[in-house]
Amino acid sequence: MTRAPERSRPAPPTPSPAQAVGRPLDRVDGPAKTAGLARYTADHHVPDLAHAALVHATVARGRITGLDTADAEAVGGVLAVLTHHNAPRMTPPAPVSALDLSTLAPGTTVDYLNTDRVHWNGQPVAVVVADSPDTARQAARLVRVTYEVEPAVTDFAAAQDDAVPLRGTLLVLGEERTGDAERALATAPVVVDHRYTTPAQSHHAMEPHATVAVWNGDRLTVHEGSQDVDWARRHLARRFGVPLAGVRVLSPHVGGGFGGKAPVWAGTVLTVLAARATGRAVRMVLSREDVIRTVGGRTPTVQRVALGAQRDGTLTALLHTGVSQVGRVGGTPEPVGSQSRHLYAAPHIWIRHSTTTLDVLPTAHMRAPGEAVGTFALESAVDELAVALGMDPVELRMRNEPDRDPLDGKRFSRRDLRAAYARGAERFGWAERTPSPRSMRDGHWLVGRGVATAFHLPVRLPADVTVRLRADGTVLVRCAFHEIGVGAATAQTQVAADALGVPVEAVTVEHGDTELPVGPQAGGSGQTASVATALLEACEELKRSVLALARRSPSSPLRGRRLSELRAGRGGLYRADAPDRGETYGVILTRAGRAEIEVRTAAGTRLGRTLQQARAAAGWFRDRRRWVRAVTGAHFCEVRVDEHTGEVRVSRWLGVFDVGRVVNPKTATSQLRGGIVMGIGAALSEETLVDPRTGRTVNPGLAEYHVPVQADLPRIEVDYLDEPDPTTPLGLLGVGEVGITGVAAAVANAVHHATGVRVRDLPVTLDRLL
Amino acid sequence: MEFLQPATWEEALEARAASRDAVPIAGGTDVMVGINFGRLRPALLLDLTRVPELQQWGTDDGAVRLGAGVPYARVITELGDRLPGLAMAARTIGSPQIRNRGTVGGNLATASPAGDAHPALLAAGAEVEVASVRGTRRIPVADFYRGVKRSALADDELVAAVRIPPRTGPQQYSKIGTRNAMVIAVAAFGLALHPDRRAVGTGIGSAAPTPRRAPAAEEFLAGELDGLWESRAELPPATAARFGELVAGAAAPIDDVRGTARYRVHALSVMARRTLTWAWADYRKGDPACA
Ligand SMILES: Cc1cc2nc3c(=O)[nH]c(=O)nc-3n(C[C@H](O)[C@H](O)[C@H](O)COP(=O)(O)OP(=O)(O)OC[C@H]3O[C@@H](n4cnc5c(N)ncnc54)[C@H](O)[C@@H]3O)c2cc1C
Repeated sequence: MTRAPERSRPAPPTPSPAQAVGRPLDRVDGPAKTAGLARYTADHHVPDLAHAALVHATVARGRITGLDTADAEAVGGVLAVLTHHNAPRMTPPAPVSALDLSTLAPGTTVDYLNTDRVHWNGQPVAVVVADSPDTARQAARLVRVTYEVEPAVTDFAAAQDDAVPLRGTLLVLGEERTGDAERALATAPVVVDHRYTTPAQSHHAMEPHATVAVWNGDRLTVHEGSQDVDWARRHLARRFGVPLAGVRVLSPHVGGGFGGKAPVWAGTVLTVLAARATGRAVRMVLSREDVIRTVGGRTPTVQRVALGAQRDGTLTALLHTGVSQVGRVGGTPEPVGSQSRHLYAAPHIWIRHSTTTLDVLPTAHMRAPGEAVGTFALESAVDELAVALGMDPVELRMRNEPDRDPLDGKRFSRRDLRAAYARGAERFGWAERTPSPRSMRDGHWLVGRGVATAFHLPVRLPADVTVRLRADGTVLVRCAFHEIGVGAATAQTQVAADALGVPVEAVTVEHGDTELPVGPQAGGSGQTASVATALLEACEELKRSVLALARRSPSSPLRGRRLSELRAGRGGLYRADAPDRGETYGVILTRAGRAEIEVRTAAGTRLGRTLQQARAAAGWFRDRRRWVRAVTGAHFCEVRVDEHTGEVRVSRWLGVFDVGRVVNPKTATSQLRGGIVMGIGAALSEETLVDPRTGRTVNPGLAEYHVPVQADLPRIEVDYLDEPDPTTPLGLLGVGEVGITGVAAAVANAVHHATGVRVRDLPVTLDRLL
Repeated sequence: MEFLQPATWEEALEARAASRDAVPIAGGTDVMVGINFGRLRPALLLDLTRVPELQQWGTDDGAVRLGAGVPYARVITELGDRLPGLAMAARTIGSPQIRNRGTVGGNLATASPAGDAHPALLAAGAEVEVASVRGTRRIPVADFYRGVKRSALADDELVAAVRIPPRTGPQQYSKIGTRNAMVIAVAAFGLALHPDRRAVGTGIGSAAPTPRRAPAAEEFLAGELDGLWESRAELPPATAARFGELVAGAAAPIDDVRGTARYRVHALSVMARRTLTWAWADYRKGDPACA
């Protein structure tokens, strides 16, 4: 569906009371969390627990020539100071392979504490283990390290000339083009062509990274705030050379991830190493500084967007190139042109990504890698084009809304950005905006309104689940997916309740434990849809098994019926044509003498898993050839800029999203709001400041790295089209990341409208507006 | 680390005299940050929170005598009417948790150029009362700041209180940060009009090595207000603008991660002009204290 007529706001589809999906249910883990009963990693108390702290390198590149640990070892309560001299040897990380995504787990090739080489300023070079966290930290400060310093490249701005274009692979977006964008630009009647920059950003999830490691012979139990327990398990088994089956990773509650807890960073590996070396259970909770120095964050980018258009606003050319940085020992490039492949119907498109390699902490994924910063450049440029054309920015976007994918003509699985803009414009009162900059004010506040498009491509990953139905009518769903605060367990509770026709209260979901069937990563906005797909399959299978039991009994009203003739509801199976004819699961199971019945999706065995992965991969590629499956949205914002001081206040926000079916409007709204808040941070304050001479991050804490506080935020309205995607089970797509995309551009566009000043370099700070 | 918890002021002063590298701790909102970040590893912490005198305020000799250990939250709720400038500054500090713990005494002893109490104290013409076993002395707050995070406090002295003349006219406080709360000032400005003595007080924050007054601006404005105090006539916009320029001229800022020197100078001129405009409007409306 690409072209919906404008219409007034339809009433949100009211789910029938019997239906759980679509209802704004409270989180199932809400009571435990508000009562402080939910145990996060650092809450795990293990007998005889020791504590670890990191020592960071203070040079960007070189070799450790001296390590004086005597003072640290002399501190009472210190158990060990581990360095490359005495740390147990580990197997180096495996080379990255598209066939085994868990090889992406380490994020870097550095062999922590098994090498004297230093690759970035902040790399861990020693670990202190002690009886208390304070002692460990204090002793860590007493470790003296000397280095033979080697020349290092640490200044992104200076290293841009050395950027190398990326070749596309399964995992990396390289160059894509259609037509001849440069020629089309040269002949376009109206052209905007600008350079945009975004700064490095650090991960700042509410819960800092934490690990508790307990060895028992070659068996290892790890409590870990993780977005991918399977990656963690596989990576640790390899590094420590122990059987996979003996490694268990538990992560039932995670205090935010945003991509920062998908890889297995130094803190995790070194906690396990410290436990191995000391024979004690060890816990390490990273400080904010540790997180910033050892957990890869978002790369800085420099981007060029050039748009060519006819005078009526029809785009003829779109060029988007970007440079991002990687570390010499690892890093993920930021595919800033991702959304530019799909958003506008330009006949000539050229997307190119380059990277430059620095002696810095490997860059890694952070919420909507690519689109989060790519939309800043693209959606700013579109706004600049609207200004150049004297055209309304919403109208300009609608004029160039494609029917099919502009790069290769594929269909969109669903896309109704027009409806999102139409609804948003009406709700926000967009028509009241006077177009010229500095034309709206309130006292000394210059008022500006801006829009920008949100865009994200949610992924789909394999998942394995078991569903157990008990004779008492309760249901247990088990899958090692991750509850990183998004309401994942709540969503699957709703999906299972509907699929089996039981009340949500009857369903329990277990997650975040490698003893459970393997789940997907909490990443790429794909977890909910991926698990739901497997869960629906399992529920079908389960109902089939229950029906088979029922049909054995001559007295069953379901005798002789096929599943397709039945509906699940009221805790059992009932005939669609005669809803009062049927029976509860309890009756069926009890009569059959079964206390419970359990099914598992096909991947239960190793072979099953390989087959399932192959099937999922094949399905994914087939789908990618057939569809562009994207989620979109329209951001509307209002800012107030103090005419004389340049202070920016975001005063209103509305985001209208087209994200397919919404399982739970309450938790989904929180996701989207959270994304918008994070985007406002990126727009106005967040920036990892690196000393270009030393490569050292100079604001490694929340006092100097400013995320938005409550007083920086307006009430954020979130609305949905809430129409199912026709190509996915239940019509789900994914909501985790799309919220942040487009936000910085919407702010910058509103700031331009307020002040007439175009800021092309984030963040938009006070002095840039004077 | 030793931890001393004197119960009386005399004990506190003796402990201070006995160990000069002891670190006093009041709300701890500066001290604990220093300890947590490894910048501070005191051999002895001298906890002042049990000394009753420090937790009190009263009036003495016409001034409010604010005990060094009274937290900002109480300044706001209990002294907003008498010390509006200081209360406004206190409202901008940190978060509710920080305002529940943090104290004016701690802010003074830290003597950061960005401390938010300072511009308000400077504008009000406060005096710092410091004490040691040798005795007590009063230091005009403008003489208290001696350099970046350095003060006139001797190494055997403690801050006992700060003495602040209650308002006789409108007071204002303005702060600019890179976000709306929990933020160190990029620049700040405090203003107090003193109709009783036909004088003007100013205080500049975050725009020089120490908090400082803008004497030329004070003198200029006092001159311009000559006659206007009585007539309560409108203030010519040019006067406010000139006042802003003179305040900005008193600053000596640097570039840092929070803002450029140029921005700070500009922002000060704006804040000075604005606070004066607001304050004068209040005065013209018959600001209750001078009615
Ligand atoms: C999150 C956070 C936000 C903050 N925001 C702000 C802000 O917005 N504006 C601002 O100005 N500050 C801010 N601060 C800094 C701090 O809160 C203030 O400086 C506060 O006034 C310190 O008071 P305290 O009682 O906590 O001092 P403490 O930390 O107890 O002590 C501070 C210093 O004063 C000394 N000291 C304390 N009492 C005495 C005494 N009676 N005699 C002699 N020396 C003494 C101590 O030895 C120490 O050197 C913030 C701090 C934090 C942690």
